[in-house]
Amino acid sequence: MSSTPLSPARPRTRRPRLNSAYLFILPSVLLIGVFIAEPIVQSGWMSLHDWTVGESHHTFVGFDNYTALYHDHRFWNALRVTVVYTAAVTAGQVLLGLAIASRLRRTTWYTALLRTAYFFPFIASLVVSGIVWKFLLDPQVGLVDAWLSRAGVTPPDWLQSTSLALPTVIAVGIWKNVGFTMIVLLASMQQIPPDLYEAAALDGAGAWQRFRHVTLPALRPALLFSTLIATVTGLQLFDLVFSMTSGGPIFHTESVVMYLYQKGFVEFEMGYASAIAWVLFVVILAISALQLRLSRYRDAD
Amino acid sequence: MHVRHSRLHGFGRAAAALAAATTVSLLLVGCGDNGAGGGTSAGGVVNLTMLTGFTGPDAPSYQALVKQFNATHPKIHVTMTAQPWATIAQKLPASWATGQGPDLATPSSDPGSIFTYIKTNSVLPLDSSVGTGTGQIDSGAFPAPVKSAFTVDGKLYAVPANMATLVLYYNKDMFSAAGIGAPPATEAEFIADARKLTTGSGGRPSQYGLSLADNNTIQMWPILQWMNGGDIVGQDGCALVDSPASTGALARWSALVAKDHISPVGQSGADADTLFSSKKAAMEINGPWAAAGFRSAGVNLGIAQVPVGSAGPVTLASTVPLMIARTTKHAAQAEEFLAWYTGKAAQTQFSKLSGFPPARTDLGSAVASDPTVAEFAKALPHAKLYLAGQADATRIDSDVYVPLIQKIERGADVASTASAAAKSIDSLTGCHKS
Repeated sequence: MSSTPLSPARPRTRRPRLNSAYLFILPSVLLIGVFIAEPIVQSGWMSLHDWTVGESHHTFVGFDNYTALYHDHRFWNALRVTVVYTAAVTAGQVLLGLAIASRLRRTTWYTALLRTAYFFPFIASLVVSGIVWKFLLDPQVGLVDAWLSRAGVTPPDWLQSTSLALPTVIAVGIWKNVGFTMIVLLASMQQIPPDLYEAAALDGAGAWQRFRHVTLPALRPALLFSTLIATVTGLQLFDLVFSMTSGGPIFHTESVVMYLYQKGFVEFEMGYASAIAWVLFVVILAISALQLRLSRYRDAD
Repeated sequence: MHVRHSRLHGFGRAAAALAAATTVSLLLVGCGDNGAGGGTSAGGVVNLTMLTGFTGPDAPSYQALVKQFNATHPKIHVTMTAQPWATIAQKLPASWATGQGPDLATPSSDPGSIFTYIKTNSVLPLDSSVGTGTGQIDSGAFPAPVKSAFTVDGKLYAVPANMATLVLYYNKDMFSAAGIGAPPATEAEFIADARKLTTGSGGRPSQYGLSLADNNTIQMWPILQWMNGGDIVGQDGCALVDSPASTGALARWSALVAKDHISPVGQSGADADTLFSSKKAAMEINGPWAAAGFRSAGVNLGIAQVPVGSAGPVTLASTVPLMIARTTKHAAQAEEFLAWYTGKAAQTQFSKLSGFPPARTDLGSAVASDPTVAEFAKALPHAKLYLAGQADATRIDSDVYVPLIQKIERGADVASTASAAAKSIDSLTGCHKS
């Protein structure tokens, strides 16, 4: 091959060169801009209006929608339901996921089978899970109540009772998501070098101490990730209640997004619905920031 | 080495440019032509598009009607498409308000939805083509509550795409097993039968007398109130749900559910149908769409009029509004279609195909040969629409009435719950009681 360069050396120009990396990210930037950023800004603008779908003119009302939201007890109820669901499901999911992952740590054919069984609900869609559980828990034609009454127990109205509906939805939420947390924690657990355990054992640490002082600290990033994802997903609760209870009975399972859907897409009050969306956005942002902050604080120890 | 590097670099830039170009072209495709309604084809045939929510088992009956219209009207071609109601509710308001979308559409299964479209000036008033002549919309033949629900500020905005009334379905086998010879004719018999047909113990019957639904359903509870002269809200927008007649009926029926367990609590419409289909309930109030499902589930099905209470015969009517987009280019042809669609021949035909009663009150004799259709048609003269003419119907239903029924079914005090509901209704409608 000739040693002559293919093109003669060009004189250096001062014109800044376009970095082709920008062209590569252009598709993503445009898609994010059009489908994520613009709608977020637009919904913020809408939340300052009395905005009904289809109207030719939308009255600017300033922060009236937010003021009305502050006095709306149905919104506060929805927020309470959402927070209770999120706290319960996140705690249940992470604790149970951790317990299962510890039990299934060693890979045998039996644990592989169990891992698959635990992970399986996660790959089904939320709506499908919701509908299937609604059928199973139906007090008249459902399998669960039929078994209970055969066993001589008076079966409760799982989803029709105002006191049981939310706990039932929470239980299904945990069942649905625990497999995901389990897999994340399991993967992280298997990264822990065995010599750490060996050293701890040599130092006389028992099983609990090894778990407390070796496993848990090593799992911190995975635990943080699981908690954060579970919290953010929980705060967006919609599919499960939509398919299982429609927010009932008497609003006892109505989540913030469910209420947002009712206002925006059933009653067409887009301005009010956008205000709800923005409040939820701020709540999610604040809680996520708090979680990150707390975990960073522990890291600094 | 330099060569390779240079080539790779060139390839990278080309790929980046390609990625950018693809993105731009994708965006441009997104802005393609999606203009309003149908057009005129070369042969001078006017194409009309019609969007409906008829995706269920009754869909072929509507398609058959449209096909027949196209066959008899060579200058007009109607294309009917069907999408789920929820999809229509999301898309239609914006597309009609911006001058796009179909020429004709059924915006919702709820007649109250027409207010949204009238408020946004999206639909065509039909008054200019109302009359009794050929090619005119004979609104005088519509059932009175339908005509008044579709008339806003003196103008007719919609025609009924279908018409349904609710009847009492009953399981004949359960009735004979309980020794009851005939379906109940009066409210007293209705209550007695519902109690007698509820069997089992410990607050968990193995068989329910009646299958009542309180959410996501065709409304059943308003009928129980109407039977006794009660109501939910008056034409003036003031609540009637706390009137003595209303609370009397609500107290009686909620006690039957909460204490005598004649029906399960908290059922959706689908739950209530499942209960009746699975032969765990002896009676259900429902519309013509339910009959086929009950029969195919093997229920020995009886159909009777809703029992009569102290206020005389009454039942619930349900109708789907069919409207014309204000911006359609073919208003005359669309009106001609509506006139034909609601005409005597088409309605008789539709009734035979679908099992629904005709959306006209003057066809009783034409449909009398089919006993099922005749039963629904017989209920037409005294059928009432739920929350007819209320611009805030959706909110009254979801925020006030459904929670009210759900609370009293679970044993809440009727008088205080109804009075709180009345206050909520009045504040929604802006009624000021003197």
